[in-house]
Amino acid sequence: MKAVSSRGFDGDKLLTITCVVIPLVALALFFLYPMYIVFIRSITLPDGGLGLQNYIETLSSTGFWRATRHSMLMGLTTMVFSVLFGFIIALGLHRCSFKGKWLIRAVIILPLLAPSLVQALGLIFLLGRNGVINRFFGLELDIYGFWGLTIANTLYALPQVVMIISASLVLLDQRLYEAAEIMGAKPLRQFRDLTLPAIYYAVLNAAFVVFIITITDFGNAAVIGGDYSVLATEIYTQVIGLRNFNMGAVVGIMLLLPTVISYYIERKAMQRQQGKTSTNIQPFVPKFMPYRDIPMAIACYLIIGAILAVIGIVVYASFVKLWPYNFDFTFKHFDITLAGGYSSLWITIAISLGAAIGGTFLIFILAFGLLRLPQKLSQALQVLAAMPAAVPGIVLGLAYILTFNSTSTPLHVLYGTAILIAAINFYHYHTQAFLTVMTGFRQFPAALEEASSTLGAGLGRTAISVIVPFIAPMLVSVFFFLFMRSMVTLSAVIFLTTPQLDVAAVTIMRLDDAGLTSQAAAFSTCVMAVVCLSLGIMKLILSMQSKNKVGAA
Amino acid sequence: MYLTVRNATKLYGSFTALDDVSISIEQGEFVCLLGPSGCGKTTLLRLIAGLTDIDSGEVTLEGESLSGLPARKRGFGIVFQSYSLFPNMTIAENIGYGLKIRDTPVNQINTRVTELLDLIKLPQIADKFPGQLSGGQQQRVALARAIAVDPRVLLLDEPLSALDAKVRGDLRDEILQLQRALGIPTLMVTHDQEEALALADKIICMNQGAVVQAGTPKELYQKPATRFVADFMGTSNLIKTEVIRSFMPELLGMRPEGDDELYDACIRPEAIKIEPNVNGDALVKSIGFLGNLSKIKLESTLGDLIVEVHGAIDLEENQNVSLQINPADCNWVLNDAVETAS
Repeated sequence: MKAVSSRGFDGDKLLTITCVVIPLVALALFFLYPMYIVFIRSITLPDGGLGLQNYIETLSSTGFWRATRHSMLMGLTTMVFSVLFGFIIALGLHRCSFKGKWLIRAVIILPLLAPSLVQALGLIFLLGRNGVINRFFGLELDIYGFWGLTIANTLYALPQVVMIISASLVLLDQRLYEAAEIMGAKPLRQFRDLTLPAIYYAVLNAAFVVFIITITDFGNAAVIGGDYSVLATEIYTQVIGLRNFNMGAVVGIMLLLPTVISYYIERKAMQRQQGKTSTNIQPFVPKFMPYRDIPMAIACYLIIGAILAVIGIVVYASFVKLWPYNFDFTFKHFDITLAGGYSSLWITIAISLGAAIGGTFLIFILAFGLLRLPQKLSQALQVLAAMPAAVPGIVLGLAYILTFNSTSTPLHVLYGTAILIAAINFYHYHTQAFLTVMTGFRQFPAALEEASSTLGAGLGRTAISVIVPFIAPMLVSVFFFLFMRSMVTLSAVIFLTTPQLDVAAVTIMRLDDAGLTSQAAAFSTCVMAVVCLSLGIMKLILSMQSKNKVGAA
Repeated sequence: MYLTVRNATKLYGSFTALDDVSISIEQGEFVCLLGPSGCGKTTLLRLIAGLTDIDSGEVTLEGESLSGLPARKRGFGIVFQSYSLFPNMTIAENIGYGLKIRDTPVNQINTRVTELLDLIKLPQIADKFPGQLSGGQQQRVALARAIAVDPRVLLLDEPLSALDAKVRGDLRDEILQLQRALGIPTLMVTHDQEEALALADKIICMNQGAVVQAGTPKELYQKPATRFVADFMGTSNLIKTEVIRSFMPELLGMRPEGDDELYDACIRPEAIKIEPNVNGDALVKSIGFLGNLSKIKLESTLGDLIVEVHGAIDLEENQNVSLQINPADCNWVLNDAVETAS
C-alpha cells in the first residue's frame, strides 16, 4: 500500500508541474516576449542604440498629433453615446417591465457576432453616397469620416457596455429595494440611493472599455474613416505602408496607457464588489410603471432598431442585384471574384478551430495545475495569466510582427503560418477564457476530488473522470468563445496576414477596398452565418448538458 | 385587534399560495407564522408589508384598511433572512436611512443612530460597511435599521435562518428582549418550531396556503388540532383509532364523535411511562442517550413508538417493558393527512 501511495504522489506532482509549465512557457513565448520586443523596438534607434529619440520624433510629428486628436475626440464621443445607450438598455432589461426583452437580448449581441467592420459596411449601405437614405430623400450626406466612424463604433461597443452594467445590476438583490421601500423610499429615491451607487464603477469601467476598444479598433476606421486618420490606422500606415517598425512600436506602447488606467478601475470595482455578493441573490422583478416603462421600452427598441438596421442591411444588400437601384433577389454576390475566393473563410474556420481546441486545452491544464500550487505562487501566476486583456489587439498584432518577422530567433519559422494567427487569437482572448475556467474550478467541490483520490484514483484519472465532466459547461463556453472571437477579429491579425494567408475579416476589407461592396456584404453574411451557427450549437450542447445533469440528480 | 388580515387569497398562476386566510395581531403581541417551506407564510408577510398585491381580502391596521396603500406609506419595519443592508452605505447611514427619508434633522438622526447602536450592543461600528461585519452583526444592524423609525409593525422574515446555531440562540434572546422592551407588535415568519415556541405569544401554524391552527405555544404543543400540527410541533406518536380500540380502549374516553378515519390519537413521547416487565407486551428496539434525556424506540401492540425519559434509563435492547399512558395525555387530532392525500 505504501509503495503505491508514494508512487502516486510523485506522479501527481509531476503532472501538476507539467500542467503549469507548458501553458506558461507558451504564454511567455507568445505574450510576454513579444510585448518585451515592442517595448525594446520603441526605444531602439535607427543606428541600433537605445534612446527615447523615437518617442520625441513621434510626439513632434504633426501626423501623430492629428491622429491622436482624432482618436481622442472620436473615442470620447463614442464613449458618451454608447455608455448612454448601453445604460438605457441595461436599465430597461433589468429595472423596467415591458414585453419583448428577449428580442433586445438577442439583437444586442449581434455586433459581437460580426467582424467590427460590418457596422461600417451597414452604415455605408444605409447612409453612404449610394445609401438608401440619400437616394430616397435625395440628400448628399457624407457618412465617411468622424460621424460615420463614431456611429459605427458606438454600435460596435454597445454590447460590452450593456454586459458590464448588467453584471453589476443583477448583483443588487430585490430585498434591498424592498427594505428601502418599507423604510419609505420612493422609486426615484431608490434609484438614486441604491442603483446608481452600485453601478457607478461599472459605468466608469464601461466608459474606459469603450474608449479603448474604439481607439484601438481597426476595421471600422479602415472602412468608414475616410480621410479621418486615427491612431489605429496610423500604426498600420507606419508599419505596413512605411515599414517604420520602431515608430509603430512607439504608438503601440502609447496605446497601452489608457488600458492600464482602465485595468486599475476594474480592479477597484472588483474590490468594491467583494463582500457584497450574497450567496443567493433574489433577482429584481420590476412592477409595471407606465410613466417609466413605456418611454424606456421605446428608447430600447429604437436603439436595438438601429443595430438591427445596420447589420440587417448588410445581409439584405448581399442578396440584391444592384444596391440601391435594383432590389431584385440574387445570389451573384456570393460568387467572390477576388483572388482566393472563399479560401480565406475555410482557413479562418480552421484557424479558429485550432485556437479554440488548443486554447481550451492549454487553459484547462493551466487552471488545473495552478490550483494545486502553493497559494502565493498560484496567485502571482494568475495575475500573469490575466494580463493579456490589458493589451489591445492591434498592439499585440504589432508585437507579433516585430517578434516573428525578425530572423534573429528560430521563432521566425512561424511567421506567415496559420499557427501564428491561431496563437494570436488565443492570446488576445486569453484572459476572458482563463477567468471563465477558473470560475468553474472554484465552484468545483473539493470533497469530490478528495472522494475520488480516497478511492485510489491518481490525479490524472481524477481530472479526467471527475473534474472534466464537472466543468464541461465552462470548457464548452470557452471553446466557442475562442472560436467565435477568432472568426471575427481583425485588429490583432491585420499585421500577420500575407497574400498567401488571408483571414475572413481581412478579405472583407479587401473586397470593400476594391469597390466590391456587395461582395464584401456577402462575405460578411457568410462569416456571420458561421458564427451564428456555432452559437446555436453551443447553446444546444449547453442545454443538453444541463438536462443530463438534472436527469442524473 | 391591532392588525388583521381578513380572507386573504393569493394565486400565482394556478398555484394557490394563500387560500382565504384570516389572522390578527394584538397591540404589543409577538406572533409567529410557522410552517414548512411553501406553506404561504412568507407570502402572507409580504401581503401585510404591501410588497405583494392581494388578490382578494383585506389587511387593516387599527381598524383602517391598508388596501391600495403602497409599502412605503405603511410605516412598517422589516428584517430579511439575507440581512439586505445597503452595501454602499455605512452602518450609521443604513440605520439612519428611514429617518433621512422622513427629513429628520441630521443631529437627531445621529442621536438616534448612536442610541440604537448601543441598544444592539455594537457601539463601535458606525463607520464600517456591511461587508466588514459578520452575519450576526449584520442582522443586528438590520434589526436596528427596522426599528429606527418606530415602526407600527415589525416584520421579520426568517431573520435567524442564515446564522450559526450559537449566534442564532443569542440573537433570538435579544430579539425577544427588544420586542418586550419596545412593545412593537411583531410578526415573524419561521419554519423552526423551537424558535416559534421560544419567542411567540401566539403561533399561527400554516400548511398549504391555509391556517391550520392558531394559539399560544402551549396550546399548540399540548392540544394540537390536527395530525399536521402534532407532527410539525415536536415529535408525536400518532396512532389510528382502531388500534387504540383494540389495545388501549381506556384512551378512547376523550375522543370526539366521528368515523375511525377522522381522528387519530396523538401521544407525546414524554407522556408514555415505561417500566421493565418480563410480561410487558412492548419490546425495546433501541436506546439513544442524548445527555439530558434518553430516546427509546419501542415495538408494541400500538405499533412503533418513541418514548422520551429524563436523564439516563436502566434498560437494554430487546428487553420487555410495560406501557402506561394517562388518558389525559392522549390527544385526539383531526386526520388532515386523509384530506390532503385524496
